[in-house]
Amino acid sequence: MNIFCRTSFKLKVFLLCALLSCFDVRAQTQDAQVLYHRALAATCANCHGTNGKGVENAGMPIISQLTEKNMLVQLMAFKTGERAGTIMPQLMKGYTDEQLQIIASVLGKK
Amino acid sequence: MNRRQFLGHSTAFASLLLGAPGFARAADRAGDLKSAEIIVVGAGYGGATTAKYLRLLSNNTARVTLIEPGSLFISCPLSNLVVGGTRTLADLSVSYDDLRVAHGINMVKDSISQIDAVKKNITLSSGKTLTYDKLVLSPGVSMMTESIEGLSQANAMGATLQAWKAGPETVALQQQLQAMQDGGVFAITIPEQPYRCPPGPYERACQVADYFKKHKPKSKVLILDANQDVVSKGALFKKAWAQLYPGMIEYRASHTVMRVEGQSKTLKFDVQEDVRADVLNVLPPMRAGALVVNAGLANSNKRWAQVDFLNFESTVAKDIHVIGDSAQNAAFMPKSAHMANQHAKVTAAAIVAELSGWDINPSPVLTNTCYSFVDAQQVVHVASVHQYSAAEKTFKTVAGSGGVSTGPSELEGTYAWGWARNIWADSLGA
Repeated sequence: MNIFCRTSFKLKVFLLCALLSCFDVRAQTQDAQVLYHRALAATCANCHGTNGKGVENAGMPIISQLTEKNMLVQLMAFKTGERAGTIMPQLMKGYTDEQLQIIASVLGKK
Repeated sequence: MNRRQFLGHSTAFASLLLGAPGFARAADRAGDLKSAEIIVVGAGYGGATTAKYLRLLSNNTARVTLIEPGSLFISCPLSNLVVGGTRTLADLSVSYDDLRVAHGINMVKDSISQIDAVKKNITLSSGKTLTYDKLVLSPGVSMMTESIEGLSQANAMGATLQAWKAGPETVALQQQLQAMQDGGVFAITIPEQPYRCPPGPYERACQVADYFKKHKPKSKVLILDANQDVVSKGALFKKAWAQLYPGMIEYRASHTVMRVEGQSKTLKFDVQEDVRADVLNVLPPMRAGALVVNAGLANSNKRWAQVDFLNFESTVAKDIHVIGDSAQNAAFMPKSAHMANQHAKVTAAAIVAELSGWDINPSPVLTNTCYSFVDAQQVVHVASVHQYSAAEKTFKTVAGSGGVSTGPSELEGTYAWGWARNIWADSLGA
């Protein structure tokens, strides 16, 4: 007989609650992660538009057509100095590689 | 494993869950997001962005009220171009309609007369009282006019202007320059740091010189700085002054204005000789917006509000968040429009997390970008990235990141306008 069958009703209820709490926390963690990632990507929005949708013909490069992969390549190229620029090389050096990956995953064309 | 052992482990696991900050917050705050009353005060770069991102990051479930006495957003960044006469305020103005219509924000055209942090309510100037669960204050700066003898009287008679909040004074300053005879002197005084927009006064000197060069070439620009040197983009500004306006701009460091005589348009300093000018732009020391000061939230040197940088909550009042220029800065964090917009996003995400019962993001990031026009087209920038340090509980700039332009360029002039149009859309647009 396994251990769960031998437990009392009260204990079963307790264990079930504990298990559900576990799922609840996991779901919250996932939602919270989505929130954190959206907020991180929003650091780019001042210049490149809310959710990466920049104002057309405003003078700032539009990034909304870049795929996640291509965007990450560009961001990393700015960071390493492979690609020249004015502000972007300076800003990209302030983000971790993981943060740039997250930004590309949020803002890259779906 | 026997039953006692398993029970012991389960209890320990459950205790861990219950004791975890996220679980505790979930128990305290779960379900609050949709019912909470969130009030944001001030619809500048900080407040407007907070209101919009509270809606966006909550997937339009948070109830947000935004209180602002003005009927139109007017940008301070780029307003030096209005002083220089190459742009108008209309070029820098944005409607609040999208916040209301596209984002469902309850816009209230009013100002705050009182905050009761115990009862958690605010009283509007119209007399109405509103209760809040979360209050975000973004009132910008207030001028410490009383700290310079005679300045209030000089302001009242129009002998001095600040024009440090874009609006009628910005236009009035351009009109005074127009009225000035060729060969006259424009003097701008700069307070000790920190003040709103560190490069702003030096950019203004460029814009006035640009106007003089085109229209009144015998005139002079005098910069009287309480600081020991130019506090932002120093080498770039000095080079631009020498190359673009030779002999026209004079910079004097360590000049602290003690007294203003409005009738004779004279500035008096602690030790240096008096200065008389034809157009006077006296920037006094600044502190947090009056709302923050009057509510007792300016607990840093009685000037700025100390905050928890994870959510910009006041260190003296629970559920009141202070962002933008009114907040006590972390090291190398300027009081800028870009920074206020970034404070807003960290704050909005933190409030959404807390009211959802989730942990607040433990590692937020801020960036800053400031573009300055050295003439009507050419621009220089300063940029920085600020990562949160859990160990030091503050934002720190990342070594090796950030920096300034190599020199003025029209390309960066294009980017400056691109920045403006995008940040206006990001803060206020649909």
